[in-house]
Amino acid sequence: MKVFVNNKEVDIIAGMTVRHALIAADFLKDISSGKKVFDEWGNEIGLDGTVEEGLNIHVR
Amino acid sequence: MNDFHGFAQSYKTYGSDEYTGGIACLAWLAGRLRKEKPTLFLAAGDMIQGNNWANLSQGKSVIEVMNEINFDAMIVGNHEFDFGQKVLRERIEEAKFPVLCANVELDSQTPWKPELLPLRPYVLKELNGIKIAIIGITTEEMPMVTHPKNVTGLKFLSQAETAEKYVKELRNKVDLIVVLSHIGFHRDMVLAEKVKGIDIIVGGHSHTKVEQPALVGKTVIVQAWEHAKVLGVLDIKVTDGKMTGVKGKLVDIKQTRLNKDDAVASIVDKYSKKVDALLQEVIGETGTDLDGKNVRRDETNFGNLVADIIRQTSGAQTAIINGGSIRTSIKKGAIKADDIYTALPFDNYIIAFTLTGKQIRETLENAISSIKEGGGRFPQVSGITFSYIYSEDNSPKIKDIFIAGMPLEPDKYYTVGTNDFLAAGGDGYRFFREAINTSEDYSVTGGAIKGKGIIYNNPGRWLRDIVIDYIRSRKKISPATEGRIVETNHPTVQ
Repeated sequence: MKVFVNNKEVDIIAGMTVRHALIAADFLKDISSGKKVFDEWGNEIGLDGTVEEGLNIHVR
Repeated sequence: MNDFHGFAQSYKTYGSDEYTGGIACLAWLAGRLRKEKPTLFLAAGDMIQGNNWANLSQGKSVIEVMNEINFDAMIVGNHEFDFGQKVLRERIEEAKFPVLCANVELDSQTPWKPELLPLRPYVLKELNGIKIAIIGITTEEMPMVTHPKNVTGLKFLSQAETAEKYVKELRNKVDLIVVLSHIGFHRDMVLAEKVKGIDIIVGGHSHTKVEQPALVGKTVIVQAWEHAKVLGVLDIKVTDGKMTGVKGKLVDIKQTRLNKDDAVASIVDKYSKKVDALLQEVIGETGTDLDGKNVRRDETNFGNLVADIIRQTSGAQTAIINGGSIRTSIKKGAIKADDIYTALPFDNYIIAFTLTGKQIRETLENAISSIKEGGGRFPQVSGITFSYIYSEDNSPKIKDIFIAGMPLEPDKYYTVGTNDFLAAGGDGYRFFREAINTSEDYSVTGGAIKGKGIIYNNPGRWLRDIVIDYIRSRKKISPATEGRIVETNHPTVQ
C-alpha cells in the first residue's frame, strides 16, 4: 500500500498505521521533537490511526 | 468517543511532557453535559484493546467502565476482535449497551462456522420524541487489520452497500439516521458521498481530531481523536423531524481542569491494581542470566530466545530482529511479567514475509553496519548462522550465511519473521519494506494469509505478551548462545 509522508512515497502493508508510515519515511524522530501529524484535510491524526492507499500525511 | 484503546489513565503523549486523557475525567464531563439536555453517548470502536490496562483483562475492564458511563451504543472496531471471537462474545454479553455491526455475516465459503456474534445491525432510540436510528458500519478490510484467525468464518460486507440498505429500510421510520462507523475519516466522507440520507456519521479508526464537524452533502461527520484525549460533543437542532443545525466541538480532557467521576475512578483503580499484581506475577524461571546488554554488538541468549519465539510463532524459516528492541537483561532465577515488559517495552507485533537470499544478505549487511557505534540495528537471529569480517577500511562485511545448515542461495526464496518496526523499514531495514512492496498477492482466505509476500501478520498481539506466554508454557528456560553470529577477524583480536 502506497502512502505519502510530506510527499515522500512509502510502502506499508494493510493494518499498519501512521506510525509505520513515519518509520518508513524516516519521520518518526520529528514527532519526538514535538512535531505533529496531519491528514490531507488538515486534521491532526494519532500515530496509531489507520492509513489507506494514497493517503498524504504531513508532518509539521 | 472513539479509539480509546484502554487508555484509562492520564498519560504523556509521544513528544510531549503534558499529561492528557483519563477516562474518569471524561466520564465526569460527559455526565455533566448529559444533565443539560437529552443526549446519546456513542463509542466508535477500538475500545477494548491496546493499553495494558485493557489487555490484561482482555477488555473486561473497559466494558465495566463503559457500563458505568452508560454508553448508548458501540460499533465493533478491528481491535475488538484481537482477543478472538470467544472473548469478544463475552465482552458483548457483559455490555449493558448494544454492540453494533451491520456489515458482517457468516461466510458460506469457510468449512468451520462459528456462531454469529450477538451484534446488532442498528438500534433505535427516542429522545424527546425524536426518533433516531444508529447503524453500525465497520471496516470491510477486517481480516487485514486483525489476525485473520480472529475473524475466521465471518464475512465483512461492503460498507456503502450495507449502509444504503439500512438507510432505505429506516429512513421513513425515524427522524435522524446516525451511522456509527469504524472505517476512518476519509472513508466516512466517501460513504457520505455515496449514500444519501445519512444525517450524521460518528466515526473512528483513523484517530482523526476533527475539531469542527465536516460536511459532505447534507451529512455531518465527526470523530474525536483517540485515547480519551478529548470528548466529542455535537449539539443537534431538530425542527419538524429534520436536522436543521449542528454545533460541534472537541473538549480537551485534562486532569488539571476537570473533576473525576468517582465510580469510574474506582473501576480504573481496581483494574490498575490488578495490572500491577499481574505484572508482579512469576511467569517462569530462567536457569541463566538473559543478556539484554550486549544485543547491539553480539549474539546473546536473550536475542536468540526472542528470535526463536518469533520464528516459531510465525512459522517462518528464519527470524531477524534488531538488538535495540531488547532494552535490559534479566537475572537468573524467577521471571516476572514485568521483567519482560521492561526488557521489551515497545508495542511491537510479529510479521513474516518472503525474501530472496540476496535480500537477506543485504539486510544483514545493513544490520551489522553500525556495530562500532552500538547501533540498535545489530541483529539477533533464528534459523540463520552467519559470520562477518572486518574489511581493510575497518568496516564489517558479511562473509558466510547458512540457513538450516545450508549455504544461502542468492536467488532462492526464504521466509523471515520479524517485528513491525523493522517491517516498516525502521533501523535502515529497507529490504524488509521492499519485500512488502512486492507483496501484491497478499490476501486472506479462511483465516490464513495467502501469498508469496506476507505469510504472517498479527497486529493485535504484542510480541512481549507472546514471549510471556512462551515462558509460562515452558516454566523453565535456559537459552544459550550457539555461534549463530560469528566475528572472524576483528582487528583488535588478531
